[in-house]
Amino acid sequence: MKTALIVMIGMAMTTSVLAHDESKITQAPPEKPYVQVSDVLPLPEFLPGLGTLFVDPGTLPAGPFLGYDHDGKLSVTVYMTPLEELKNGVAYDDLGIGSHEVTSVDIYYNAGHPGVESPHAHVVLFHDEGAKDRLAE
Amino acid sequence: MAISRRNLLLASGSLFMTIKFPVLAAEQKPVVIQMRGTARGERVWFDPAGIAVAPGTTLRFINLDPENSHTVTAYHPDFFGRTRRIPQRATPFHSGYLLPENVFEVTLTVSGVYDYYCVPHEMAGMVGRIIVGTPDMEGWDETALRAGGVAENVEKRFPAIRQLLSDDPVRRIK
Repeated sequence: MKTALIVMIGMAMTTSVLAHDESKITQAPPEKPYVQVSDVLPLPEFLPGLGTLFVDPGTLPAGPFLGYDHDGKLSVTVYMTPLEELKNGVAYDDLGIGSHEVTSVDIYYNAGHPGVESPHAHVVLFHDEGAKDRLAE
Repeated sequence: MAISRRNLLLASGSLFMTIKFPVLAAEQKPVVIQMRGTARGERVWFDPAGIAVAPGTTLRFINLDPENSHTVTAYHPDFFGRTRRIPQRATPFHSGYLLPENVFEVTLTVSGVYDYYCVPHEMAGMVGRIIVGTPDMEGWDETALRAGGVAENVEKRFPAIRQLLSDDPVRRIK
């Protein structure tokens, strides 16, 4: 009985994990299909507050975007959700996550930038207590 | 009381002489316009958003937004098929995407109203207006004022030329 319960819990956890192996994205660069955002869009390599971003282009605009600190450690997962799309009924469901360890979340408005060129929300999941400070600049 | 033709002419001439547009000295050094943004990108803007300069002035745009890239793009059919909002005889300009600290310069010689925008941030209101010369100059072209071709919320962002001609640059802070 106990064994069955453990197996069932394990299966439930497995279904909520990203399709990729999390161990392969904890350190930059993550494996394909992730690409470095600054390699494909005119944006700075390191964005204060978000870090060096990688994304699977097939998940745009929402992401997840994986944000790494200056030492290449996965520090945040970021979602970018266009406000007009949300207002028009578009939902962004079942999004992946860089790490299941989340210490805090910030949500704020962004006017737009190359790649997501309309006003949208940034939903930022910080994966450890020091992440915000490491990404500050 | 009847007014003689001579007195009437003298009076109208005097009145005309009092309607003076500001004398815009030709700038020897480039006039700087910054591209700015808040720390998280909530707001983005050109600073100043409106300015008046003499013909032949060079405008130097510099991206001082560490979080973003911006463009300086004239409203013109040559770039993205937009409605012309610069003088017809003027050469349209487009900086391409400028990363932080990148600079773009353009020298404007044709008198009139020049409206421009940032490609990824137009709908966020990042637009600007440059007045070159004064309305009394030959060839003055203010097509921009009636051209349309932008969303209503964007149209409202362009500074009034009356304010700019009174030598009062419009700075949109925050």
